[in-house]
Amino acid sequence: MKVFLLVFVTSLFGWSASSLASSNQYNLRVDGLACPFCAYGIEKEFTRTKGVVKVDIDMVNGLVIVTTSTDKTFAEAELSEIINNAGFTMKSMSQAGH
Amino acid sequence: MNWLKRTLTGLGISAIILVGLVYVIWIPSEQEAPYQLIKTWGSKGDQNGQFNEPTGITVSGNRLFVSDSRNSRIQVFDLDGNFIHLFGIEGDASGQLLRPMNLASTADELFVADFFNDRIQVYGLDGVYRRSIGTPGSGEAEFNAPGGVAVADNGDVYVADFYNQRVQQLRADGSFVRQWGKTGQVGVLDGKLNYPTDVAIAVNGDLYIADGYNDRVLAYSEDGRLLNKWGGPFALNLFGPFNGWFATVTGIFTASNGDVFVADFYNDRIQKFTADGEFLTAFGVKSDGPSHSVIAVAVGEDGSVFVVDYNSNKIQKWHQQR
Repeated sequence: MKVFLLVFVTSLFGWSASSLASSNQYNLRVDGLACPFCAYGIEKEFTRTKGVVKVDIDMVNGLVIVTTSTDKTFAEAELSEIINNAGFTMKSMSQAGH
Repeated sequence: MNWLKRTLTGLGISAIILVGLVYVIWIPSEQEAPYQLIKTWGSKGDQNGQFNEPTGITVSGNRLFVSDSRNSRIQVFDLDGNFIHLFGIEGDASGQLLRPMNLASTADELFVADFFNDRIQVYGLDGVYRRSIGTPGSGEAEFNAPGGVAVADNGDVYVADFYNQRVQQLRADGSFVRQWGKTGQVGVLDGKLNYPTDVAIAVNGDLYIADGYNDRVLAYSEDGRLLNKWGGPFALNLFGPFNGWFATVTGIFTASNGDVFVADFYNDRIQKFTADGEFLTAFGVKSDGPSHSVIAVAVGEDGSVFVVDYNSNKIQKWHQQR
């Protein structure tokens, strides 16, 4: 039983670590984030998008940082369209795995 | 060569005259005594009296209401900045808030533009939730990110419907009356708006629209006719730091004497105008970044001006010098 529990717990930790490692973070460069009407508009668009778990606004660096669930990935064109829907233009995008 | 010299001299003189004319016509001088910063309060945080991105303000009697946007709540102060109470929590159920923006008040109610939840929420001045106006969408009496709200004496509610590019007038029961701007269409001509952020109703019933990214103010009569517009040459979305020009208008407030106070976001200042748009004076504290120091404004009965400093998470109180 102890062995079974050990294997189970180890597997659970392994699965969690693997899940975290496969979550995605997208750093989107957007001008005009200093105004909250703009920044909140972008946040609002992303929070309505399935698979997005977190949106952070980095005003100093002009970045929208989008974190998705493990199984959600974005193509650059999708991200660009969401930013466009919020009334802005995405200047560039980079992706970082967690 | 003489003719070339004469032509160049003539062109130079013409240019100087033109610049002078532009300056005289479109850059008015101060007409009033300056304002002085009396006090500030607030800091970043989530405790009583602290803010996390304040975005709106209004005054009712001796109480000041502030949208504490990222904390999803409304904080109430007396006119000296003493904390009284707060209400609202994050969420989308009745009475809950997601990014509250500009505010309006009557003698007994507070109206909150609930940006993420696409609705106007109405509370008693004691913070007790009363009702909600509007639903998400782009049809009549529907909103897509309301940024500001105003209430007329007859109870009509005016809403700056930010992403729908319009201002809607609704009855107190939420039924649609009319709109300004063309739904979903951005523009500067032909009755179009460009991300309207706020509205105000003057004592005489006139409507003032903060046409945010068009960098201008529009004034309409009670029956909906355009009375005036201002903000740079011809109010055609030419932005700048000069008197009477704007760089994104994010808040507007009409004082009891009819004067119009405008939050000029990227210029870090409040600009004050007569009811018909004549520039009176400007004041503010320059922001040290990363954002800007003036996003919303309200005026008390004694003439005190309260300004929301978005960048520093503070409220400023200003008095006009005698």
